[in-house]
Amino acid sequence: MASACGAAAGVFLLAMMLLTVADVALRAATNQPIRGTFEIIELLLACTFFLALPAVFLREENLVVDVIDPIAPRWVPRLRRLAELLAVPVLGAMAWEGWKAAAETLVFNDVTSDLAIHRLLYWIPVLFGLIGAAAAAVAMTFRNNAE
Amino acid sequence: MSLGLIAALGVLLLLVMIFARVPIAIALAASGLLGYAAIDGWGTALKMFGRVPFTLASAYSLSVIPLFILMGAVAARGNMAKELFDAVNGVFAGVRGALANATIGSCALFGAICGSSIATAATFSKVAIPEMRRHGYDPAFAAGAVASAGTLDVLIPPSVLLAIYAIVAEQSLPKLYAAAFVPGFVLAGLYVLAVWSVAWLRPHWVPKVPGMRLAARLRASIGMWKLAVLFFFAVFGIYLGWFSPTEAAAVAAFVAIIIAMLTGDMGWRGLWDAALETAYTTAAIFFIVVGAFIFSRFIVLTQVPNELAGWVKQANLGAGWILFAVMALYLVLGTFLDEVSTILISVPVTLPLVVGLGYDGVWFGIFVTVMCTIGLISPPTGMTVFVIQAQHPDIPVARIYLGTLPFLVADFVLVGLLVAWPSLVSWLPAVLKI
Repeated sequence: MASACGAAAGVFLLAMMLLTVADVALRAATNQPIRGTFEIIELLLACTFFLALPAVFLREENLVVDVIDPIAPRWVPRLRRLAELLAVPVLGAMAWEGWKAAAETLVFNDVTSDLAIHRLLYWIPVLFGLIGAAAAAVAMTFRNNAE
Repeated sequence: MSLGLIAALGVLLLLVMIFARVPIAIALAASGLLGYAAIDGWGTALKMFGRVPFTLASAYSLSVIPLFILMGAVAARGNMAKELFDAVNGVFAGVRGALANATIGSCALFGAICGSSIATAATFSKVAIPEMRRHGYDPAFAAGAVASAGTLDVLIPPSVLLAIYAIVAEQSLPKLYAAAFVPGFVLAGLYVLAVWSVAWLRPHWVPKVPGMRLAARLRASIGMWKLAVLFFFAVFGIYLGWFSPTEAAAVAAFVAIIIAMLTGDMGWRGLWDAALETAYTTAAIFFIVVGAFIFSRFIVLTQVPNELAGWVKQANLGAGWILFAVMALYLVLGTFLDEVSTILISVPVTLPLVVGLGYDGVWFGIFVTVMCTIGLISPPTGMTVFVIQAQHPDIPVARIYLGTLPFLVADFVLVGLLVAWPSLVSWLPAVLKI
């Protein structure tokens, strides 16, 4: 799962780079940049960031201050489980509120100004990432409990 | 409950969660949400909470961050660090402290394309420390030199940390990059002076290494061409008006990939690994950015930054005392937070305070970044120190901290210079008319 999320994010990252380079090259060579580059880059950026988010949780790569580890090593597993449990409602609330905001883009038919890309398309990776990260936090709690 | 009390409780809750091993991003988001809800009610707070991730993730200006990280990840895999080390060693060879100074020079230049202290320290700990130990350098000093030199890249453009500061403080990134040039290279110069001071005080820590023939020096210096090309696209491309920062980052990353693949230093597998590493790093940083924006919305709602600035004005405290207090705050934050979190959490509060003293946001960006370099090598959580210790487990952490001491002194000298001569920062942007 982590590899699949990372791979998808990596593909979108490389696409973001190639699109920007192509835009710069076309602008320099023919004075005709690619139309709507900004909007596509923003979509690719959302995909890069949010598709990799569940992988960050599964790989335990979130930045954590671990000064307590040498002081109270026996507390570390409990604190780790507590942190994972706290992550679930935080990410869940973000996703739920995001879901409602995404639904509003449907009601108002919210599209981008240049390419008329529906805003819902931008919300899809955001919601996937938040729900995926919440699920990853739950999975990590079970895995650490089993260990 | 007064706004000031809510702000204090919010900060306290944040610190408790951070020390309880809650991921920094989650701690920021949770305390920010609770604080915001305490002031403006749950309805508005939850609405803000759901929209911040979307607003940030699709902000074009943020795309500069993964692209510069990708360039650094490719450069780290493309053998550029070793060639650079050999080239800079060719300049210093024959002088006492040559290898340590070669480490500092090559880290400063490599940092210009890498943008990550951790990556720079990890790369050079493999390249430089074995070489220094082979020539009889004190292991703690060798490790301290790499840990400290690795921090130069947060200051020398194009720096990811400065890009993050530009976003959170709403400052011009090209102006910040121009402003960072002089202090960045002054700090590298101060590090070189630190090496010479140690060589003078403790000559057995820094033995003299034989010199090189002119032909060998010239041959070694050719190895710098890759870095020069990347630096040209990543930095000069912006000032020549060819690219925006995002475009410069994308072109430089693309050129890095082409160079690394054409020279055979990196294959498709290496490119894929670099893309994956960048995706994970970017997601971890962005998630903190999301949390920090939620927390800063709460802090702004409490009006604490403005109240604090007003209080300082009324109290008529000298600028020196306030800067001293700000420095102390960053030293404390640096002992347990990484540099990205430090900037994201503190800048919304400290920037109005320092701007009220007459300094501008660009100067403060450089000041804060230098303070972050101190945090990266100071105990108990100097991140670059841990990276080196992981690769050289036979050198105790405490000894590495000892090895960083001469360089910490150099950092504080730079802070003093910045306060005494703010023109150190403003000179180049003025010359470039940015």
